Amino acid sequence: MRVLIVEDDRDLNRQLVSALTDAGYAVDSAFDGEEGHFLGETEPYDVVILDTGLPKMDGIRVLEQWRRADRKMPVIILTARDRWSDKVAGMDAGADDYVSKPFHMQELLARVRAQMRRASGHARSDIECGPLRLDTKTARVTLNGQPIKLTSHEYRLLAYLLHHNERVVSRTELVEHLYEQDFDRDSNTIEVFIGRLRKKIPSDMIKTIRGLGYRLSQAGDEG
Amino acid sequence: MKANSLALRLFVTAAAWVLVVLPIAGWIIYTNHRIQVEETFNDQIDRFLPTVIDIAEEKGARGPVPPSDQVKSFRRASAHSAWDLVWQFKPLDGKPLDGKPAEIMRARPLGDKTLPLPREHGVEPQEDETYWADLPDADGQLMRVRETIHQFGMGADAQRYSVAVAGRLDDLKATVAAFRSQLIYSLALAGVGLLAATLFQVRFGLFPLTRMERALADIRSGKATRLEGDLPSEIKPLQHEINALLKSNQEIVERARTHVGNLAHALKTPLAVLINEARRDPSPLAQKVAEQADTMTSQVNLYLDRARMAARIGVIGRVTEVGPVAESLVRALDRIYRDKELAYSLDCPDAVRFLGERQDLEEMLGNLLDNASKWARSRVHVVAAAKSADQGNGAGPGWLEIRVEDDGPGLTPEQLAEPITRGRRLDETKPGSGLGHSIVSDLAYSYNGRFELARADGGGLSARLTLPLAI
Repeated sequence: MRVLIVEDDRDLNRQLVSALTDAGYAVDSAFDGEEGHFLGETEPYDVVILDTGLPKMDGIRVLEQWRRADRKMPVIILTARDRWSDKVAGMDAGADDYVSKPFHMQELLARVRAQMRRASGHARSDIECGPLRLDTKTARVTLNGQPIKLTSHEYRLLAYLLHHNERVVSRTELVEHLYEQDFDRDSNTIEVFIGRLRKKIPSDMIKTIRGLGYRLSQAGDEG
Repeated sequence: MKANSLALRLFVTAAAWVLVVLPIAGWIIYTNHRIQVEETFNDQIDRFLPTVIDIAEEKGARGPVPPSDQVKSFRRASAHSAWDLVWQFKPLDGKPLDGKPAEIMRARPLGDKTLPLPREHGVEPQEDETYWADLPDADGQLMRVRETIHQFGMGADAQRYSVAVAGRLDDLKATVAAFRSQLIYSLALAGVGLLAATLFQVRFGLFPLTRMERALADIRSGKATRLEGDLPSEIKPLQHEINALLKSNQEIVERARTHVGNLAHALKTPLAVLINEARRDPSPLAQKVAEQADTMTSQVNLYLDRARMAARIGVIGRVTEVGPVAESLVRALDRIYRDKELAYSLDCPDAVRFLGERQDLEEMLGNLLDNASKWARSRVHVVAAAKSADQGNGAGPGWLEIRVEDDGPGLTPEQLAEPITRGRRLDETKPGSGLGHSIVSDLAYSYNGRFELARADGGGLSARLTLPLAI
């Protein structure tokens, strides 16, 4: 799950990066409108947190240009301008949610999770697949009610597969959505993590579809 | 016309002038005319006397001829006059005429009356041996009489006569009185005409001011933003000044709003950083910082709202259509609360317009709709309707009522009874600053409107706003 943060305030940017990384997301950050716009246009993000008052290029314009270029990722606007006229302008430009500064980090994280679920078509905060259950609020995975210990990379991989369960996910897609922009993208690492996950959950749940990628499905399902 | 008005001033001065000048002019004309008429009257009596004598001498060689022969001639002579003058010959020496005793001869209108003679009343003769006097006749009518002694005939037949002519003073007075009443009548008519003309002139002349007054009222009521219309050159500069003032007023407000917005941005980001940093750290110092930063946040919000409201006071006449505002808010909220799949229904007729700033309506309606969306189970309903003035609290053209209803859990009667105060949150379990309702309430009161919470028909919350209506 990749998140882009576009916020010009260095401190706030750093806080957001650390809070979102702690929550198990792969986080990229940009400090001005142009850089943010470039990243959002070239990289596949699952959620973008966008400040409106940005140097070089205003946040609303960045958002409008993304939408014009048919970039559909969920965007949460983060701004000090909390009048309804500003909110309406932001939503009309194509935003999916709106958080006013100052905000509580827990609330922002809840909004990010809501956007993730919404994008993958899940209405509730926990996602189930057979005996597996992911609580997006606490970032915990249980197997038959028993918590499983996962490293952060394992968690990201499993959470992504769970969000997109019963669907074939390619290696490239996994790499793009699980790692930060400057991560060394060697698709072999994906295989390593898949191997580790198969040891922690029923191994037949993650199937390798030759030449296409992986699919997470309920155990015993041969489809 | 109002007690203290230009129209009244103009009218009163013009009317006073007319009321003073016309009687004076009338009196002067009347006096001159009376003197002139009297002179003519005297002049005609004066000239009638020699004429009468001439005619008598011409007809009779020795003495006055009998009246039957002379009446026509006398009448012709007196017909030149505007008045019926009378004459009289009275023999003084007692000699017979044509063998008969000489008699008094007189004009027929006199009948058997004789003219009162000035000489017999002891009046002194004038230089030309004539006597003048105003004397009452036998009936008591005052006559102006001119008398002279003239000798007719020669030798033994010669006889002196008292020849007198006269005019009735009442005739003179009647002529003068007729003129006077005509004069008064005409002058009164002229006066009334002048007053009417003045009234028209004042109304017509001041009409542009009336028009300007109406245009200003339109600006106040929000129907116009500028003073429009082709006004006369005298008040055109005023029009330009007013328009410039309106424009600069709007600019000042815009600038104030911009500054307020900038301040908000400038303060809120550091506050966000402080709060987030402090909340990650369990030390007492960090907790104190977090607590104080929260207080600062609510203070900043409080004073930003006040500044926004203060920036708005004195802004004249903005009109906002309720429908489009509600639609754009619903569009935004429908996205924010997409997961709840709420059914929004809007009932805002086009004609329903709010007399106030768009931003303020957005703020009030936005907070109410946000709250309703937060709590609603399946539907949110917005109704806007115009109410007649008497149902509101009196002032202004009328009131606009907006109701936002949801089908959520609503509030308990105790909660509904509590006053809406700043910072009070009716439920702590849903996220939000807790300022929503108090901002709505403050804004509504700043427009002399009202904000009330009640129980909706379906059991949810019904929030009702009463605001000034624009027509």
